[in-house]
Amino acid sequence: MIDVQKIRDDFPILNKKILNKKNLIYLDTAASAQKPQVVTDEINSFYSNNYANVSRGVHTLSVESTFKYEDARKRVQKFINAESEREIIFTKSATESINLIANTFAEKHINEGDEIILSVMEHHSNIIPWFLIRDKYKCKILFANIDNDGNINEEHFESLINEKTKLVSITHLSNVFGTITNQKIINLCNNAGIPILLDGCQSAAHIPIDVKALGCDFYVFSGHKLYGPTGIGVLFGKEKLIEKLPPYQGGGGMIADVSTEGATYTDLPAKFEAGTPPLVQAYGLGVAIDYVNKLEMSKISEYELELTKYALNKMQELDFIDIHGENNNKHSIISFNLKKIHSHEVSSYLDVEGIAIRAGHHCCQPLMKQMKLNATARVSFGIYNTIEEIDAFISALKNCRDFFKK
Amino acid sequence: MNDLIKELYQEIILDHGQDPRNFGECNPHNKSADGHNPLCGDNLKLTFFVNQDDIIEDIKFTGEGCAISLASASLMTEKLKGLEISVAEEIFRDFAKLVSGSNDDLKILNEEDSLYALKGVGGFPMRVKCATMAWHAFKEALKN
Repeated sequence: MIDVQKIRDDFPILNKKILNKKNLIYLDTAASAQKPQVVTDEINSFYSNNYANVSRGVHTLSVESTFKYEDARKRVQKFINAESEREIIFTKSATESINLIANTFAEKHINEGDEIILSVMEHHSNIIPWFLIRDKYKCKILFANIDNDGNINEEHFESLINEKTKLVSITHLSNVFGTITNQKIINLCNNAGIPILLDGCQSAAHIPIDVKALGCDFYVFSGHKLYGPTGIGVLFGKEKLIEKLPPYQGGGGMIADVSTEGATYTDLPAKFEAGTPPLVQAYGLGVAIDYVNKLEMSKISEYELELTKYALNKMQELDFIDIHGENNNKHSIISFNLKKIHSHEVSSYLDVEGIAIRAGHHCCQPLMKQMKLNATARVSFGIYNTIEEIDAFISALKNCRDFFKK
Repeated sequence: MNDLIKELYQEIILDHGQDPRNFGECNPHNKSADGHNPLCGDNLKLTFFVNQDDIIEDIKFTGEGCAISLASASLMTEKLKGLEISVAEEIFRDFAKLVSGSNDDLKILNEEDSLYALKGVGGFPMRVKCATMAWHAFKEALKN
């Protein structure tokens, strides 16, 4: 059982008063999660006690730093149940993870006329890297349709797969609808022998991840949405796929040998980690993973699902609200609009009540265009949210409607 | 009710947000530009006609947006109609200051101006782009 009051004590920011008055109700975890004290303390302690560059020296501090950095990699590997640490690449963000795969995979495998499949509801960070590849390699980007319930249309998705399809890259848990991608979609790719990348930015924070059981070839997520620091992203890639890919960036740490004639590159995972890595951030992510493991991801997931269902029920009772992508497959994220009131107004109104929600296109403009919306409001939940906070949110929505109805 | 919200959404803002004036396309027009707010996807199209004396004879806009962006565009068109371009540019300088939370040394705008109602945006830094979207489109159109 989750003891949410005890968890809340771990997050100092939850004591903040917004505009010096209102208790903070943070319902924007999908944009970025707040940090438990242990993460910020450990980061501070790393800088104060163990810091030096990694893999560069034989002195004590470099050894300590390297150990902490590589230990974080092990924690990530176990967290998503990857086969080996060699399959875990640290990047600066999930965005960089996708760009890394887009560039190196395309260089190795994409030719003119080839096809890459995305879905209409992808985050811009899982669209733009592929557009850049399309422009460079003259390949095609196809978009799988989204049904009104916020799921990828399986029939349409299947119809897009053909012998020209080289890669599929889709979200695992939609940052707009909160829908979890159906396993059938992944199985379709596996059966057709097409590599599939899952954007796990949202799913890594809300549901237990087992990349082997999922059957994905690549999985990316960021540290800051998982209660870790900013500046750290993860790329998981199946060893047999990424070992054949060319390096992404050149620099220190990724070479085996360099002469004035050229260079040979080092083995996985360092081959993809040119330059001094975000080593303290990687360590911070490891600490965040420990924190989550202690609470148990399955229990976190269950608790957040309970919050989501409670909020959804309450919101469905309000006749002045449109909920987007209505279905029972939502996890931790709900997008909505108040009828005839722009989401900016809702967000500003709630802000002065101390309630932080997201308003805008959520970096998903193709989806917004399909839904014929400019912007939506979005609430999202984390391990520190409570039923009482959702009640306060619902009550604020009613007041907001009354204020703008005048 | 919070004072900041009342200050942001004054009666005139809600009125112009729900019922924007000069909504449509100016015909004929010799200046036009699109305005975007990349943060939220809101957008507008501004069209106006400038005569040989540099006077804005007519000005209109269409688009989608929040109450702040629509009210700001609406109030802007009301204010600028009949004014000389150089005066309009001075007003923009004043307006940009005002919505950034400063009303020091405004050259033209004063509390009597309906545009002054947007002063409350100063309390919401992330909404400044909503309030200035139409004005940036105006500046853009002058370049074209």
